Amino acid sequence: MDSSDVVIQAIYTVFQWQNLAALIGGSIYGIIVGALPGLGPSAGMALALPLTLKWPPATALIFMGSLYKCCNYGGSLTAILVNTPGDASNAATILDGYPMCEKGKGAVAMVLSGASAMVGGTIGMVCLIISAPLLAEFALRFGPAEYCMTAVFALSIIAAVVKGATLKGLFAAGLGLILATVGFDTIVGQLRFTFGWAPIEDGIPVIQALVGLFAVTQALVLAESARSISRIGKLEGGIWEGVVTYFKYPYNIIRSSVLGLIIGVLPGVGQTSAGLIAWAEAKRESKHPETFGRGEPEGVIASETSTNACMPGDLVCTIALGIPGSVGAAVFLGIMILFGIIPGPLVFRDSGNAIYSLFIALILTSFLIFIFTVTVSGYFASVTLLPNHIITPLILVISLLGSFAIRNMMEDILISLSFAVLGYVMLKTGVPLVPLLLGLVLGEMVERNYQRALMIAGGSHSIFYSSVICKILIFLTILSLASPYLGSVWQWFVKKIKGG
Amino acid sequence: MFRKYQKLFVFLLVSGISLFWFTPAARGADFPQKPIKIIIPADAGSGEDSEARGIAPFLQQILGVSVTIENQPGAGGKIALERFQKTTPDGYTLICNNLPKSIIYEHMFKVDFKTKEYSPVFAWSVSYNLLVVNAETWKTFEEFWKAAKAKPLSGGLSAIGGTTHLGSLAVAKELGIKANWVPFEGMAGSLAALAGKHLDFSIVTSTNAIQLINAGKLRPLLMFSDERDALFRDVPTAKERGLDIPTVITVRGIQAPPKTPPAIVKILEDACAKAIKDPAYMEWAKKRRMVLKPMGSAKYMEYILKEGYPTVEKYQGLMKEGQEVKKS
Repeated sequence: MDSSDVVIQAIYTVFQWQNLAALIGGSIYGIIVGALPGLGPSAGMALALPLTLKWPPATALIFMGSLYKCCNYGGSLTAILVNTPGDASNAATILDGYPMCEKGKGAVAMVLSGASAMVGGTIGMVCLIISAPLLAEFALRFGPAEYCMTAVFALSIIAAVVKGATLKGLFAAGLGLILATVGFDTIVGQLRFTFGWAPIEDGIPVIQALVGLFAVTQALVLAESARSISRIGKLEGGIWEGVVTYFKYPYNIIRSSVLGLIIGVLPGVGQTSAGLIAWAEAKRESKHPETFGRGEPEGVIASETSTNACMPGDLVCTIALGIPGSVGAAVFLGIMILFGIIPGPLVFRDSGNAIYSLFIALILTSFLIFIFTVTVSGYFASVTLLPNHIITPLILVISLLGSFAIRNMMEDILISLSFAVLGYVMLKTGVPLVPLLLGLVLGEMVERNYQRALMIAGGSHSIFYSSVICKILIFLTILSLASPYLGSVWQWFVKKIKGG
Repeated sequence: MFRKYQKLFVFLLVSGISLFWFTPAARGADFPQKPIKIIIPADAGSGEDSEARGIAPFLQQILGVSVTIENQPGAGGKIALERFQKTTPDGYTLICNNLPKSIIYEHMFKVDFKTKEYSPVFAWSVSYNLLVVNAETWKTFEEFWKAAKAKPLSGGLSAIGGTTHLGSLAVAKELGIKANWVPFEGMAGSLAALAGKHLDFSIVTSTNAIQLINAGKLRPLLMFSDERDALFRDVPTAKERGLDIPTVITVRGIQAPPKTPPAIVKILEDACAKAIKDPAYMEWAKKRRMVLKPMGSAKYMEYILKEGYPTVEKYQGLMKEGQEVKKS
């Protein structure tokens, strides 16, 4: 059968009433699950599995796929509106999404997030449909040495992020890297810096830490005044402003999509890094980097577009090779196998209908998210007009409940509260949060892959610059470190020539 | 009308909900009376998790009470296992355990639980280990063995302290080869690195490698089981090659807290035995390519004492030794 036939048949499949119902049901369920901190895509899919067991494979895959996709969007909703990340992947969205709400632009930020889901998701999906096997080959060329250099490159972006507050920024980055060393060292098999306390033996749990750093800290800040999240007490800008703003930045959209897709394709790097790295890149390339973190629409566009393009990337290795890139993808892989769809290069031939239906359903879901946002953003944004004495206790209870629910451990609430204190002090002393997050998320990746690469190479460091990918990454790292100063060097150079 | 009685309605609703908690204490004869909870000492989506979620609906049907799943993945499952040691043995809280992983933990780390003190209920599935190499390298096990003896090859370890860690060390020792072990966090990492030719070989559970084998990226060389695997008919077993390598298998099943009354264990055991014979369950297991090998309470205990502990004890020195070397 011709491949275009398969696609046409898949479109026909998706538009059958039961599959459309599964798509809409999965989307709504996904948004709710995603919005609740503590319930991520993996738990959401595992919970819904018994419901779908008797369904035809295509229907079940469409349901699970749209659920998986919408989880991220649900998390962004709460990230933007009440500073509470639904999942670790929404961390970067908070940075500018919530400050936009403070300016009364909650609805605009939501529309930006919805548009990102549509555009980033569609770009990612189209790349996945066209070139999944090729992308999977590319991902396999990344070994420990390449992963290590990727993480080093990502860390080098801190140089751009901290510009202006270099000392405080480096302090935060160092703190993040130190925190990343806590827990069970999976290479040596020893515990480090846990002080005999079991809850941190897996390392500092990221979502619990984020709940503290963002949600609880913000609840404390809100409790200081009797106003509402929107400082001006009303909403400004509407849906139309959001749509226009989004498409004003085509270069940002393309850059963030490509970054998100590449990061997604590499197993184990993840959406959290995708959002943060795209955000930092956007800040570096911006002509007014000082507005980032203070309600800059470009920040929301970058992080959201990137995380949404990351999700199809994550599916590349899961579907083409059977290697899941994240916990969510691992659950998705299990579900595919359960429905008799065996991942691998042959999946497009053997289960073509189900797989292409899934792809088309995911694109459709992207558009559905946008329509949903446009419809409800006005109502949802009015949350930011609620008086602080009503919204603050709600944020506290829901976020701490979520922090508990992830591992069913009371100790995790303590972890969140400790990070809330840290977050509050950082906020009051003007220490930036992003370097800490980048350090915390990437520290482990640098260290473990560094050790692994050395073990493979028998202790020789040449492994870090012998492959082509490593060489490119080293070049990018140097460029990234030097970029904040290149501008002044260039100016000096121009002046010199003119003067001479 | 509603407004007038609003307070009354709310009062009744709240009282009604509170009454759910007043259930009589469990006795063997009228067990079970309230929902049963199965603890998973791992993340949602892990092997234990999906297998427990697979059998739960059938147990629910047979036992007539709801069976819920609770993930407690803290500290690689250690926290859940330690908490379980002290759980009230009333049969309402069970654990879906992955053996011999918890036994390995007992020997490698300082922990506060003993797998042999738990009351075994029923084990349903096993997984075997498989030696895989990149498809572009060695064609047969003999070629691989020769190369591995000539110089240390890089071998991927899925996780420190996992079942495949023990299996890998046992295989290397019995084959008389020295390997350069590279640990990962989970099988996906080591398999991807092997498929990308960054490693030389890995020992993984067979069901995890099948996609990459079918994709032509990896080649299975040797199976560590008593008989050939139905999925890999062409792959010889270690026994066929005349090698005496203990089969370190992964056994999954449920256990009850220490000192659970035998009457309650019996009810749960019978329910499990019935559940796995349900055609719908068998179809589910087949789709997941699970190797069903049911063990009742007594047989499960026998496995733990006669196979689980001795194997771990035999090779624990190797695992510790590996750590010492890396520390220095």
